[in-house]
Amino acid sequence: MFDTKKLQVPIPAHLEIPEGGVVESPKPDGEQDQFPSGGWRILRSVIDQERCTKCLTCWLACPEPCIELAEDRSVSIDLKYCKGCGCCANVCPVQCISRVPESDFKGDVEFMDEPF
Amino acid sequence: MAVNEITTWACGVLQDTNGRDVSKVLGAAAGKEGKDIWVIDNYADLPDRVNVPVRKYCKISDEPIKEKFLYENHHPNIVVLMEDVYAKAYNILKGAPKGVTLVVNTNKDFDFVLDMMAANPDKGKIKKLAVVDASSIAPGVDRDLMDIEGAEGGSQIGKGIGACLAAVVAKVTGVVSLDNVMAVVANKEAAKKAVDSVKVKEL
Repeated sequence: MFDTKKLQVPIPAHLEIPEGGVVESPKPDGEQDQFPSGGWRILRSVIDQERCTKCLTCWLACPEPCIELAEDRSVSIDLKYCKGCGCCANVCPVQCISRVPESDFKGDVEFMDEPF
Repeated sequence: MAVNEITTWACGVLQDTNGRDVSKVLGAAAGKEGKDIWVIDNYADLPDRVNVPVRKYCKISDEPIKEKFLYENHHPNIVVLMEDVYAKAYNILKGAPKGVTLVVNTNKDFDFVLDMMAANPDKGKIKKLAVVDASSIAPGVDRDLMDIEGAEGGSQIGKGIGACLAAVVAKVTGVVSLDNVMAVVANKEAAKKAVDSVKVKEL
């Protein structure tokens, strides 16, 4: 049988793939520094931490993924990369994620010369 | 004036039709006046991704436009924002000459827009700032996603907020006559409301 471990870049076996199929960034800090997509955001997802049940459904659903998980299983949103797709708000079983127009907030977006 | 370069910033897929309408309506209206036009959209962007910022370009000139193969507006003197948040995130005035006209679709006021542009090194280039709440004037037609990529399809040109913003550009800058814009757009009522409700500030 072909041994994937002998490859220069080993392919993980199906049980070794991280949860949610999240592929780690090749960068050591785990970020795609050159491509922050926070500027795309029209509506910002705001989590009501008091009503959040920490079920982590949003964390699994986020396609970016930019929902950050703290040690106590509380979630927060990485605004540098969140593009405001609203998947998290759609899947939240207790509807504790609301979507607020981004223009109601000041800052939190990295200013860039060009979108790409 | 040499060439009027109009750049429209829109939200990918969701506003693609309306962004196209701004360029297309202004181009068609200028064509009626016998001007030379050059209309193209999303050359350097990723238009197939939802929410991505896309740019639509329109050049209008009294004399023949020589640069037929410059697909982007490198020196836009009129900038239209279909979402006000792009003022905060990107240098929407990059390469612009002094005396830019900025048209913003927002429900906020002038100071708020200028506040959002605090990080922009080129914000001193703005001469005229126009704010209009086009999204509430022409609601409900933003979900027709069939007519992207320049196809006219079943819906006419200028059905939604694109009609409002094109009419506002004509009124504020005078680059084309408002009557010609009104003759081109489908949603004449919304365009007229936008022209009546636009607020303009000279800086």
